[in-house]
Amino acid sequence: MSDDKLFEDGVIERIAGELRDAERPSAGFDARVMASVRGIARARQREHRERRRLWNRVSQPRTITVRPWSVGLAAAALLLCASLAGWGAHAFARMESAAPAAASGGSQRVQFVLVAPNAKKVAVAGDFNGWDAQHPAYQAVHRGGGVWSVTARVPVGHHRYSFVVDDSLWVADPTAPRVVDDDFGTTNSAIVVEPEIR
Amino acid sequence: MRGPRALAGALALALPLALSLALPVAAHAQATANTLSSRLDPTTRVAVQAIVDSARLAKLPTAPLIDKALEGAAKHSDGPNIVSAVRQLSVELGQSKRVLGGGASTAELQASATAMHAGVSSRDIALLRSAAGPHRRVTLPLAVMTDLIGRNVPVATASQVVVGLARAGAHDSDLSMFERNVRLDIERGADPSAAAQTRARGVMLRTAPRAGTRPPGNQ
Repeated sequence: MSDDKLFEDGVIERIAGELRDAERPSAGFDARVMASVRGIARARQREHRERRRLWNRVSQPRTITVRPWSVGLAAAALLLCASLAGWGAHAFARMESAAPAAASGGSQRVQFVLVAPNAKKVAVAGDFNGWDAQHPAYQAVHRGGGVWSVTARVPVGHHRYSFVVDDSLWVADPTAPRVVDDDFGTTNSAIVVEPEIR
Repeated sequence: MRGPRALAGALALALPLALSLALPVAAHAQATANTLSSRLDPTTRVAVQAIVDSARLAKLPTAPLIDKALEGAAKHSDGPNIVSAVRQLSVELGQSKRVLGGGASTAELQASATAMHAGVSSRDIALLRSAAGPHRRVTLPLAVMTDLIGRNVPVATASQVVVGLARAGAHDSDLSMFERNVRLDIERGADPSAAAQTRARGVMLRTAPRAGTRPPGNQ
């Protein structure tokens, strides 16, 4: 159908006429709209009042009455948390410094032997005891004839160690693999402790 | 009044929880610091702690670094020397991790770092890793390699011999015996390089049938 034909039939005019007629709202339409608007405004006011009340609660100084036993309870809870945290950290630090043992689980008894006829004291120091030559578990005992030995638990893993003779002389284990490690002027020995095969 | 009571209750619950989360981290750092501070002077301790913290961030084992610092202190080394040794070890551990991969154990990383310190190249450690196969730990082969170098076997010979033994399927027990025999030979006056090569041929002759490979010719 062409545009001229539509014009002639007055179709367009009829449509335009219907569109020109104003929409007549039903009775009470205005009242419903206003009630809805007032409802929204009241909800917003309520929300605002809640926010102000909450802010006043946290920002204004107030007196809080606390029962004496609840202070003790809170203090005990804090102490417990601190202890747990300290214990956790201590355990973590121990785990970290004995990483080879933790990684593969466990340790093995290892015998360390040094022939030192003129020694008065022999100890073993290594990364398994924090290089502590005074560690009580690693003090060698004179077995006679210049033979010193100690059997101690060593964590599973690769370790570097040395004998300490008379608290001053660092001596590599002559029967163990050597470590080319002259960072601190002395040669260390190496030991690889394997997990126990059950 | 309900509000303040609820607020106090929430605080009483939240505060210990927050503390229990925050304290272990702080306390752990404190524990490591305490271990170091009992043996090192403050300047050295701070420098070593910084290296340890960096290693932890890089997911490297930190225990060997702390042990290295403690070793230096036990041997009465000076602070700068201790820091330098710890830093060097940290670098070697990082290189070892790159060569051996993320699945390497702390013991393997330590053994590899020690071998690198003795002069073994990353390439030779990668060769050993490859020769040993994916399921075998290379801790002992690396310790034997380092030992040979410590007994004046040239680095190239030590690497070649141990890589060859690993490729031939030598077990850790074979390597332990090999190391002991080479040590005895050297103590009796043998040339270190000749002792290592000769004893390696002996091990290969024993392990070749086990590994299904032909032993090396009459060398």
